[in-house]
Amino acid sequence: MKLGKKILLYVLAISLLLFTSYPFLYMVSTSFKSMGGFFENPFSVFPKSFTLEQFTSVFEMGLVTYFINSVLITVVSVVLVVFISALASYPLSRMKFRLNRPIFVLFLVGMMIPIHATLIPIFVMSNELGFYDTLLSLLGPYVAFALPISIFIMTQFMSEIPVELEEAAKLDGAGNWMIFSKIMFPNMIPAISTVVIYNFVHIWNEFIFALILIKSPENMTLPIGLQKFYGEFSVNVPGLMAALTLASIPVIAIFIIAQERVVSGLTSGSVKG
Amino acid sequence: MSTDSNVALEIQKQATEAHKRQNRKKSLSIFLFLVPAVIIYLIFILYPIIATFNYSLLDWNGMGEQVFIGLDNFKALFTDPAFWLALRNNMYLVLVSIFVQVPLGLLMALVILSSIRGKRALNVLYFLPYLMSAVAIGLLWVFMFDPAKGPINNVLNMFGFESISWLASNNIAIISVLIVLVWQFAPFYMILFKASMVGIPEELYEAAEIDGANGMQKFLNITFPSLMPTIVTSSILAVVGSLKTFDVFYIMVGGSSGGSTEILGTYMYRQTFVNFNMGYGSAISAVMFVIALASVIIILFSDSQRKKRGDLA
Amino acid sequence: MKKLQLAVISFFMMAIVIGLAACGQDEQGAGDQDSQSSQGQEQVELDLWHFDPGAREEVYKEAIQRFEEKNPNVTVNDLLIPNDDYKQRVVVSMSGGNPPDVFTSWGGGWLEEFVDSDQVRDLTDEDIDYDSFVDVALNNSTYDDKVFGLPLGISTYSFYYNKEIFEEHGLEVPETYDEFLNIIEVLKENDIYPLALANQPKWPGAFYLMYFADRLGGEEVFQDAYRRNGGGFDDEAYVQAGEYIQDLVGKDAFNPGFNGVPYDSGQGRQLMYTGDAAMMLMTTGFVNNVRQEFPEFEEKMGVFPFPTIEEGTGDPTNIAAGVSPVWSIAKDTEHPELTLELIKELTSVETAQGYLNKSGTPVAVKGVEVEDEYVTIFTDWINQANSIQFPYDQTLPPELAELHKNTTYELFGESITPEKAADAMEEKAQEILE
Repeated sequence: MKLGKKILLYVLAISLLLFTSYPFLYMVSTSFKSMGGFFENPFSVFPKSFTLEQFTSVFEMGLVTYFINSVLITVVSVVLVVFISALASYPLSRMKFRLNRPIFVLFLVGMMIPIHATLIPIFVMSNELGFYDTLLSLLGPYVAFALPISIFIMTQFMSEIPVELEEAAKLDGAGNWMIFSKIMFPNMIPAISTVVIYNFVHIWNEFIFALILIKSPENMTLPIGLQKFYGEFSVNVPGLMAALTLASIPVIAIFIIAQERVVSGLTSGSVKG
Repeated sequence: MSTDSNVALEIQKQATEAHKRQNRKKSLSIFLFLVPAVIIYLIFILYPIIATFNYSLLDWNGMGEQVFIGLDNFKALFTDPAFWLALRNNMYLVLVSIFVQVPLGLLMALVILSSIRGKRALNVLYFLPYLMSAVAIGLLWVFMFDPAKGPINNVLNMFGFESISWLASNNIAIISVLIVLVWQFAPFYMILFKASMVGIPEELYEAAEIDGANGMQKFLNITFPSLMPTIVTSSILAVVGSLKTFDVFYIMVGGSSGGSTEILGTYMYRQTFVNFNMGYGSAISAVMFVIALASVIIILFSDSQRKKRGDLA
Repeated sequence: MKKLQLAVISFFMMAIVIGLAACGQDEQGAGDQDSQSSQGQEQVELDLWHFDPGAREEVYKEAIQRFEEKNPNVTVNDLLIPNDDYKQRVVVSMSGGNPPDVFTSWGGGWLEEFVDSDQVRDLTDEDIDYDSFVDVALNNSTYDDKVFGLPLGISTYSFYYNKEIFEEHGLEVPETYDEFLNIIEVLKENDIYPLALANQPKWPGAFYLMYFADRLGGEEVFQDAYRRNGGGFDDEAYVQAGEYIQDLVGKDAFNPGFNGVPYDSGQGRQLMYTGDAAMMLMTTGFVNNVRQEFPEFEEKMGVFPFPTIEEGTGDPTNIAAGVSPVWSIAKDTEHPELTLELIKELTSVETAQGYLNKSGTPVAVKGVEVEDEYVTIFTDWINQANSIQFPYDQTLPPELAELHKNTTYELFGESITPEKAADAMEEKAQEILE
């Protein structure tokens, strides 16, 4: 590559880097400030004195329970979503049948309903099902609201997989389930990775259903637990930042794991990861 | 002859039987593949949608007496200037999503795809904005945009520009939030593009190189066309996402510049839960729903037209 | 295919098992209750929702503990949900038919919405000693002469200022508005923001409109407009109040970009703590904020009431104050006696004393002893006040309250004229109040 182009590329990469990660850096650095230190100079990224008091207070506040609940509900929901939406995407992308398009659009429609409009019906429903105030009450809405976009991404992706692979398997006498599990699923890794990341982020950060459907502290998830940092018309900013920093670790981990094969595919330039 | 025809008939019969069995088997497997999704979907999504349409026909504060008023909510809505203002702001949002967020995501994916050093680290660092919750984003950017001492104004001052009251003045407030939304969502499109770039066969590039294509030509002739399906997917997600946007807007400006930063999501919320107009709020939801549906059908339709043209060519 | 069928079938089995288990649990729970009640030892759980964190929450927890000691078979599940989310949570639960037994509010127009929807229990004829409450505070949760909530705290609104800065520049606490304007000039010459304002949530700016209207036209201006006694929100006093606001904005009396600065995250207060700004119009909550966030500031801090305006007719002893929490009972509670006892405990003299001591806020309950320096001042203001003005956004019906906050916000942003703001308010008021 020519030097000029190379410089241009690095300038671009670094400006993008500053844009995307400066706020994150600010969050992490603020979490190492004391309350007084924060109010003396709220905007500095390199605090004069580092303190771990915010992190110890996060643990003292009992956020661990919330953390465990969040991990539990997020992992279960994401696994269910990936499995169910992959199943549904297979016939929608690979088979011809009369109801194909209508069902696809029906699923798309689900992406368009504003979440606040569903609160009261879902509250009523989870009361009637007896799930109110349990983690289970969150599972239904979480999976349901993740399905449309997941099915959409997977269907779009699956329809780009070359037909030849499938036809070869059919000639060998493979059934639909075989084709799905042995051919489609492994070729879907990039799409599954995308769907996992998308849903993990959303469910991990989900606030509104957790607010409406849970009332006992032992069943609360992390986003609700973070309300402990709110005072009377005030927020304990350094404490909240510390909690947010800790809360971002699982998401980063999932991102790295889920992207491993995709990125290695990109790096090696190989076709089928 | 007759035996022959009998045999032929018999074979034909068996064939149709087999065909029918095949068909039944196919229908059964389609059914089994779809049924888990459909059931969850019907319970948790279709039912609330129907309930919303039902509420939109009522004069109801959410708790008290329900009065059926037909389409009055919709009539009021279409003459409500606040609604049109919110809709206009949503249109800005759609435009920015499609023409800034998606291209920026593509650019990020291309940087990571390039031969730059440390791309694995960049991959994670570029992703960071997307992992944050709305609460975190709102809080962080309020500090970034602080009018008196915030880092953004500091940078402006450094280059000799005047400080800007980012979140305060009517027109700038909406631009500020749009910047934040671009920041938040571009990484998601980056992930989408990366996923589909892995699928572009290397041979295509090799062939192009033999033909002496330069980087730009390779991008225009190979990468871009291969990414077309993902661009369509992204646009649909961008349109739907922008119409439903709520939380970052609500937290950062809360429709607080009077109506000038109100979007459909925040207006619906305000009418429903702040002003106690459940019926009116549901009518807004219903309209949001119809607009999103119509736009998606248009995009899908034009995409299938594009595909048909592609097949013919 | 077989594997698929297996997967699908096991999925449904799982769903059904979970469903049955949940229902089973439910029935079992109900069964337990029955068997216990037959022994006359009914175990009762009461849900109590409120929005006050920190010191106030501690006080409520102590009151709950006293209540539980008196009623050993009762457990109170208290749930704290901050501000905006609280409103939404309560609306959904009322709407969905599973409300908390006891909940708090700010009284006024918000509570009235629930009262009108027949969701709140009428307390008028219950065994409550109404003489032990401050009358005006009780009025805030009284609709058509019926009481729907018991008040605990009264938070007064006044200026907080930095004594050090005032001394340094030879300034004295202003009594009149002219003196106040003079202070602003002096501070500006010395590169200090005269007034800190974090107006993103809109209510901090609304305090100015409320005080200006009161000092200019007296307490009747609002009462006549709200009660529709021949007055209106387009009264001359409101137009003038808007002009006063825009005059301050034109004089650069506030920190830059104030309309985009949120209150909660603290940049506004930070300007006070670090001496970048000298004065701030705030609730008694500011005292709490200082003690938690930047205790060093307390020794520099002073308070003064909103100054008199010479051309106005309002009584300078008038004070603006908000009443909260107001404890109410959901109409459909299964335990009418216990909940009544609970809210009485939550407004007992003992609770009120704790509230006053710990939160630095005066109370709506008589018979408490005042020690805290600030509470003494605030309580004196309340006692000497000719009239107490409750904040408009808590008094008016929610929709009108929103418009009030929006138009005032726009006055501060100079994107609306005082006349237009007043007219918009009056138009909506005619639609909603009449």
